[in-house]
Formats: sequence, C-alpha cells, structure tokens
Amino acid sequence: MNYTLQFGVVFRQLPYLLGGALITLELAFIIFWGGALIGLLGAVGKTFGGPKTRRLVNVYVAFFTNTPAFVQVYFLFNGLPDAGILLSPFSAAVIGLTVNSGAYLTEIQRAGFASVRRTELDAAEALGMNLGQSVRYVILPHIMRTIYPPLANFFIWILLGTSMAALIGVEELTGRAVNISASTLRSIEVFIVVAGIYIVLTLIATAVLYVVGRIFFRVRMRVL
Amino acid sequence: MQSLLNQIPSFFTYYNVMLLLWGIGSTVLLTAAGCGAGFVFGALIVLVRITKTIWLLPIKIVVITYVEFFRRIPFLVILYLVLFAAHAVDPTLSLFGVAVVSVCLLATAYLSEIIRAAIESVQRPQIEAADSMNFGFWRTIYEVVLPQAWKVLLPPATAFVIMFIKDTSLASQIGVIELMFTGKILANRSFSGLLVYSVILICYFVLSYPLSRLAAWMERRLAAPTGTESQRILRTSAGFAGYQSYG
Repeated sequence: MNYTLQFGVVFRQLPYLLGGALITLELAFIIFWGGALIGLLGAVGKTFGGPKTRRLVNVYVAFFTNTPAFVQVYFLFNGLPDAGILLSPFSAAVIGLTVNSGAYLTEIQRAGFASVRRTELDAAEALGMNLGQSVRYVILPHIMRTIYPPLANFFIWILLGTSMAALIGVEELTGRAVNISASTLRSIEVFIVVAGIYIVLTLIATAVLYVVGRIFFRVRMRVL
Repeated sequence: MQSLLNQIPSFFTYYNVMLLLWGIGSTVLLTAAGCGAGFVFGALIVLVRITKTIWLLPIKIVVITYVEFFRRIPFLVILYLVLFAAHAVDPTLSLFGVAVVSVCLLATAYLSEIIRAAIESVQRPQIEAADSMNFGFWRTIYEVVLPQAWKVLLPPATAFVIMFIKDTSLASQIGVIELMFTGKILANRSFSGLLVYSVILICYFVLSYPLSRLAAWMERRLAAPTGTESQRILRTSAGFAGYQSYG
C-alpha cells in the first residue's frame, strides 16, 4: 500500500462541489414537498376513501415501497423511451423519487391521521369548537407531534437518496464527485470530501429541523 | 408497444431466466451477508454504548462517531469510497467483496440504531428493579431486557432488511452482478428497457413484498398491546426504519 492522499486538487474544486450540494438540496426540497402532496392525497384516500380508493392506495404504496427507488428512476430514464416518452435526467430523477417518496409519506401521514382519536374530536365538539378551531387546536397539534420526527428523518433520507440521481446523469453532489474523480483520478480524496459534505449537510438539516420542531410543534426529537 | 410484445417469447428463454435467478440469488446473498454482519456488530456497538464503565469511553466515542457518520453518507458514496480504498489497499479484492464490505459498514450503523431503540424501549424501572435484585449486567440483559426488546426489535429490523434488498441495487453501479446488474446486461442485449426493467421491478417486488407482510404481521402479533395504531404504521410500513430516531 503506497498511496498518498492529496487533498489539494480536490479542495481547489470545492466551489464546484458545493454548487453540487446546492443542487442536491434543491432536488431534496422538490422531492420532499411533491412527495408530501402525493402522500397527503394518499393518506386522505386511505383513511376516508371507499374500499376501491383504499385498495388503489394500498397497491401504490406496496409497489413503490417494495421496489428500489433506483430501479424506478432507471425505469423512467431508460425504459420509458421505448414507449416514446423521453425525460431529461433531472426530470426523471425528480419524478421517480417524488412518486417513490410519496408512497412512504402516505404511510407517515396516515399514521398522523391515526393518532387523532375519535373521543378527542367529540371533546372538541362538546367544547363548542367549530371545524376550523378543532383542526387548529386539536387535530393539527396531534398530527404534527406524531409525524414531525419521521418527516424530519424522511427529509434526511431523501437528501441522501438524491445521490442516486447521479447515476442517470444529474450533476448533483455525487455526480460532480464522479466528474472530479474522473478528471483528477484522486478518487478516494474526492469521495472522502463528498462524504464530509453530506455529513455536514445532514447535520445542518437535523439541527434546523430540531429547532423548527421545538419552536413550532413542541416536538422533542432525539438527536443522538 | 407491439415490438415489446414480440420480444417477450425471446426474453424468457432458459438462459435469461437463469441469469435473473442468479441475480436474485446474488442480491439475497448480499443482503443476508450485510444484515447478518450488521446484527452481530450492531449488537456489539449497542453493548458498548449502554455500558456505564468509564474505561470504555474512548471506544464509545469512536463507535458513536461511526454510527452517526455512516448514517449520514449515501450508500452510493460509501460504495465508491470502499471501491477506491480497496483498490489502494488490496487490488485483488473482488467487486462482490467490495459490495459486501460496504453493505456491512452501512448495515452495522443502521441496525445498531434499531437495536438500541428496541433496548431503550424497555422501561427504566424494569432495569432498576433488576439492579435492586442484584442482577449482573449480563443477567439483566439476558433475563430482563432481551425478552421485552425483541418484540420491539423484529418489525423495524424486518423493514430494514427490505430497505437493504432495495439498496443493494446500487451495487450494480460498480459492477457487482446482482439483480439490477442482470437487468442492465439484458438491456444491453437489445431487449427493450421497458420490458427488462419491468421484470426487474417485479423481481424486487416478489423478493420484498412477503417480508413487508411479515413485518406488518409481526407488529400486529407482538407489539399490539402496547403500541398505538400510528406507532404501528410508522414502525413497519416505511422500510426506512433505521432512519427513525424515535424510540
């Protein structure tokens, strides 16, 4: 083993990598909010819908949580052209991962709905609250307390999951790392630095989510 | 679309099916190796973390840093890191070996968190009671903690295995011959990507759907008296259980 680590080449490319980190964050935001929207629809459908809607949501959740997100994205990018649908790498990654995370977020938000008990709604009614008030003071606090920690964790998961967009050619953090390692051949150093950036990114995200949860939803998440 | 249907008979030939089965076997092997090692090392890590002796403190810090860091690096980056590092250390290590090593690294980190959550779900007074009855460390673990913890452990651990079956698909990127890689081979043999990747998706589904049903069943059977409905959904459904940090 006679390999000497040389980080100089990589550190010179740091702005390029940080630009990639920005794209990673952007992807994660789009995917998270898109997935949350799909998940909300799914959870509403599964909780309040008829048997047909429920079965539909069940099939959607079962399929997308039991197959790899990577294969789904790959299917969109390399499979769909045969059916005449061409997607750019970015949109394939966004669509694939959004639909995928929508399935998980369906389950998370359904858990939130399940945490509101019938009796509490009755109590709210007995106190003379109207619908808006009971949503504001009874339902939402309950739901948020239950689902905020898993939602925060899921955001971190998406942040890490976006790395697979690199494999279909999106130049986010991992994609740019692959580029640099191809041009400088300092592969180990590049990926050490990139791993460090991911750690810092997720640590910042955890800290922000912790503070937001603490202030707005009075949720105390376990950090370590 | 018509050409797709025409391809189906020539797709399901003996050799292609064998190739797919080989891929499935390889994926299962990779998952089993990773999760097996992850359970053993994860349990060791948890043992180190829950002891209160002061001389283990340096190891404790190392172990906590390891768990926290490896849960914050994407599997893909770990794969690349292990791949290139392995090439610097020992160029003869096979790609499958690289994949096994990185799978073990990741699974250890996540499973140790799952095991720790399960152990911490055992209520404090139980352990204090064991203490007051002069149980030793091992006896407390063996007779008080484990009988209660394994029920909490199994459903998320199963969900984690599912997550890992899915994550190993990324190993195809460095050239490990597993299910996704066989798909890429078949796609390169000029079969329609639509057909090939649909088949691959179905194969993954067949692999992990029974496990997800098992996780849901275990959660209903084992933890029903204490768990609320919403906890139950969260702990089994998602399959990203290792990313959860609630107890």
